[in-house]
Amino acid sequence: MEEDQAKLQALSETLQKFQDDLQTTIDARQKLEAQQQENKAVQKEFVSLADDAGIYKLVGPVLLKQDKTEAVSAVEGRLEFIGKEISRIEGRIQELQEGSEKKRVELLQVQQKLQLAAQQQAGG
Amino acid sequence: MSQPAQNAVDISTLSVQQLSALQARLTQELEHLSTSYQRLRAAQLRFRDCIRSIQQGIQGKSGETPLLIPLTTSLYVPGTLATPADSSSSSTVLVDVGTGFFVEKTPEDGIKFYTGKVDELAKNLLEIEKAVGGKNDNLRIVEDVLRQKMLAEQQAGGSASKQQRAQASVG
Repeated sequence: MEEDQAKLQALSETLQKFQDDLQTTIDARQKLEAQQQENKAVQKEFVSLADDAGIYKLVGPVLLKQDKTEAVSAVEGRLEFIGKEISRIEGRIQELQEGSEKKRVELLQVQQKLQLAAQQQAGG
Repeated sequence: MSQPAQNAVDISTLSVQQLSALQARLTQELEHLSTSYQRLRAAQLRFRDCIRSIQQGIQGKSGETPLLIPLTTSLYVPGTLATPADSSSSSTVLVDVGTGFFVEKTPEDGIKFYTGKVDELAKNLLEIEKAVGGKNDNLRIVEDVLRQKMLAEQQAGGSASKQQRAQASVG
């Protein structure tokens, strides 16, 4: 009985940790999504620009002039990186979801066991 | 992010606990949506300000028109618009297109760019409005059912305790 109590405690702690991890990963996923959207908007804007348009990049407090091809490839590189990051994080989210689901089932089992024991004690 | 429910569940079959969890979630989603809405509104307003700034401060102004340039929100210095020597056209504006990139544009193109942004945001705002309306309806329905359930439970509980009391007084 006491052993089960301890087990319950440990299980709910791990479950909590899983959920915290899940939340932070989901937040990261949302941030990536926002960045992806922004980069896509920039890419769209670049497409409609003339080749000799003046493009500047903000580096710290200064604006540096950049070639269009350079800027376009920079944005493409970012989009590629972000895409990879998103699929990596999706995998992690799935992993965490599965893990936390497993823990939840275990937790429920232990809880039921404890309840049953309590009922028997009350009955007997 | 919020997908429409694919498998419909009759909410009147849910327990009070499940219903209040659902209610909490809907409220949270609604809050999230309304803060997003407000943020989009603010962004739209900023873009509109940019359009106005171009129209009133730059378009059609020659290099001699004196301007007050804000250095901070409370300190201004006099200045004039610079006309780039290498371009025969009037002065250009630098537009922040996002992720740290700035693009040189003519004032007309700048206005076009910002108008596009404003329209895009208007579309998003409309979508959010629709989503908020849907969620609000859902929330109202859930709240209604929850109230009914609570009332029913209270009545059931009330009659049960009355019965107990009646038994106690008989005994």
